[in-house]
Amino acid sequence: MNSDLPDVAEKTIAGLRRGDSGALEAVMTHYQHRLYRFLIRLTQDPATAEDLFQQTWLRVIEKIGRYDARRHFTPWLFSVARNLAIDYLRKHRESNLDVSPEQGVSPIERLAAAGADPLEQLLEFERGAMLAAAIAALPVIHREVLTLRFEEDMKLEQIAEISGVPLSTVKSRLLRGMESLRGRLQ
Amino acid sequence: MNPAEHESMRAQLPLAAAGALQEHEWIAVLEHTAGCESCRRELEVWGSYATGLRHLPQPTIPAHLLGRTQRRVLHERESSLERRQYGLMVMALVLLSWATSFAAWFVTRSLVGVSLEVFGVNLVGALPWVLFSSILTWVTAGSAAVVLSNYRHTRRSV
Repeated sequence: MNSDLPDVAEKTIAGLRRGDSGALEAVMTHYQHRLYRFLIRLTQDPATAEDLFQQTWLRVIEKIGRYDARRHFTPWLFSVARNLAIDYLRKHRESNLDVSPEQGVSPIERLAAAGADPLEQLLEFERGAMLAAAIAALPVIHREVLTLRFEEDMKLEQIAEISGVPLSTVKSRLLRGMESLRGRLQ
Repeated sequence: MNPAEHESMRAQLPLAAAGALQEHEWIAVLEHTAGCESCRRELEVWGSYATGLRHLPQPTIPAHLLGRTQRRVLHERESSLERRQYGLMVMALVLLSWATSFAAWFVTRSLVGVSLEVFGVNLVGALPWVLFSSILTWVTAGSAAVVLSNYRHTRRSV
């Protein structure tokens, strides 16, 4: 059962398998914001996210025949997108995925350098934007787990399935990610 | 609670705020924070991070991305279908060519007999005929593939 796409899930998947363009439009419309957001968080670049978004759907159409309908569709879709993004990052930018991207002085660092308590600043000044900037400075494996857990509200088991790592690794990445994030805000 | 247990509980607080603990671990953290003021405050801080992470500014999806993606997918699907059709056509041509050669072999042998020597080679012998017809088949298939590819290229440019 696919609880991610209630009512129409199985019909839609069957439609995708048949090459039905209506089914494709329905699934793409349903997931467009979440998928694009996930790709933006991983790549930090709108043009790359846009290209990977298109490639993800091409890959979905190519592989839908091999998709096991007993599994949830969302983790499968995100694992397709994730693998494309990781391949891209390996080739083009971050050869080592657990290393922070090289950046100049971030907005966080500028605000933190102002001297006030970062947590108070966090509450006073665009907390979300600051957090987003702090996340952008994290290694991709931490960005991935944080966005899947908090923005996608996925269970650790689903994150493990998407990332292709054991549950214990997901837990440790989540812990390290949160600690790194806080470390960057202090 | 001894300091080691206190530190162990404190290390769990980020995961507690992330909702990533099992029920018994979560209960243990709650029991600890009920009696430990510093861990209770620490859990609140982690909670504020978790809340912030759930409410990050959302990226705006580019206009027409959905439409562009749909067109790209449909185009790719058509191209793939076309490639498969052309592949089948080339395969059919190869088979037809083989069948024609085989039939021609029987006809030629029935007309000229089992021997037709040219420069010391028996042209209606099995091996020379197979070699000759193979070359003919692959030249035909190759030419068909080139013609089809040019046709596709021209159609795409149009």
